[in-house]
Amino acid sequence: MTKKVSVLPCCGINKTVGLVTTEIGLKLKEINRSIELISPATLSVDQKRFQELILESQVIVIDGCATRCATKLLENGQYTKVKRIFIPEESKKYEFRLGKTLRLSGEGKKFAEKIAKRILDELKKEAERVKEPIVERDFGTIDYFEVTYDKYHFRVPKAGYYFSENDCWVKQEGEKALLGVTDYLQNKSSDILFVDLPEIGKEVEQFDEIVNFESVKALLSLISPVSGVVSAINGKLEEEPDLLNNDPYEQGWTIEITLTDFDEEKELLMDGKTYFEYMKKKIEEEL
Amino acid sequence: MAEKYDSTTATFMGVPRKEIPWWPTIDYAKCNFCMDCDKFCPHKVFEKHEDKEKKLVVANPYNCVVFCRACMKLCEPDALIFPEKKEITALIKNIRNKSENND
Repeated sequence: MTKKVSVLPCCGINKTVGLVTTEIGLKLKEINRSIELISPATLSVDQKRFQELILESQVIVIDGCATRCATKLLENGQYTKVKRIFIPEESKKYEFRLGKTLRLSGEGKKFAEKIAKRILDELKKEAERVKEPIVERDFGTIDYFEVTYDKYHFRVPKAGYYFSENDCWVKQEGEKALLGVTDYLQNKSSDILFVDLPEIGKEVEQFDEIVNFESVKALLSLISPVSGVVSAINGKLEEEPDLLNNDPYEQGWTIEITLTDFDEEKELLMDGKTYFEYMKKKIEEEL
Repeated sequence: MAEKYDSTTATFMGVPRKEIPWWPTIDYAKCNFCMDCDKFCPHKVFEKHEDKEKKLVVANPYNCVVFCRACMKLCEPDALIFPEKKEITALIKNIRNKSENND
């Protein structure tokens, strides 16, 4: 671990899931004393206290529940690199139920230790991994259908893209295809803070959740419009998740897939014109 | 939100929403009534019944977005169950094929 690391747990004292975040933070510090702890209470009243640390370190944000206090606190400050841990996800991963106890149980502490050790392993691996060079994809010039509602502007590419009713797109390029989210989904989620990309080689079935992302407002997923095998990921999104908001149809692409059954799957998808009408109807229903 | 959304006339992939059995089922043996799913879901799928034994119910199943499982992901006690996605996809295809053949 060469880069400085800090930990921001939500520390929610009234929920067992909150207690486990504190325990993970303490465990990390116990194992590696160079890790800095960030107190969410202090951060909430004094943004400046941790400003420099947050900017220069990789911040491990640990949220116990869907209120995601730690994430929301971080949003106010500037940060460079974040690793997020969400306890409900961890519970499923380790098939461990915390239950409702005032203090963290012995089992709960073991659960926290497992997560802490895994985080350190992952940091080590990430530091060792040779990053693949980021190659910018060329999208040429794209014609868009465009519409504005309130302060929100929506575009939909006129040709070359297919869309699902879950507001995700697929752009075929020979045997492969790029996937992403539409303006509707990115506008609805507001500023995207983190993007969790899958491993290259992962198999995907049509309508599986394949990319998870998180905004201040919500936890969202890109539901894959097609089946296939992940052949590339847009590594740029790890450092610039806002590309999903600012350029969702081009440089905000998420993954590339080697297609397995596109001709048949296409039947369940819409072309640009149909999706544009579908999207407008959906927005109007929600206004 | 979605006041104008009418699940009786809504369609998904050209199939009436009412014909697609996609929504969460609450496992009451696991649910701890933290209500995080209800707070989260913008489509008002859940409803709180504070004075009843089952403090949370799936009140508007057809408001649930087909293939969305976001509430399941944030449920710490893992108390929300969704149908098999494959079966639902096959069902949608079947209904579409039937209606095409009838046209």
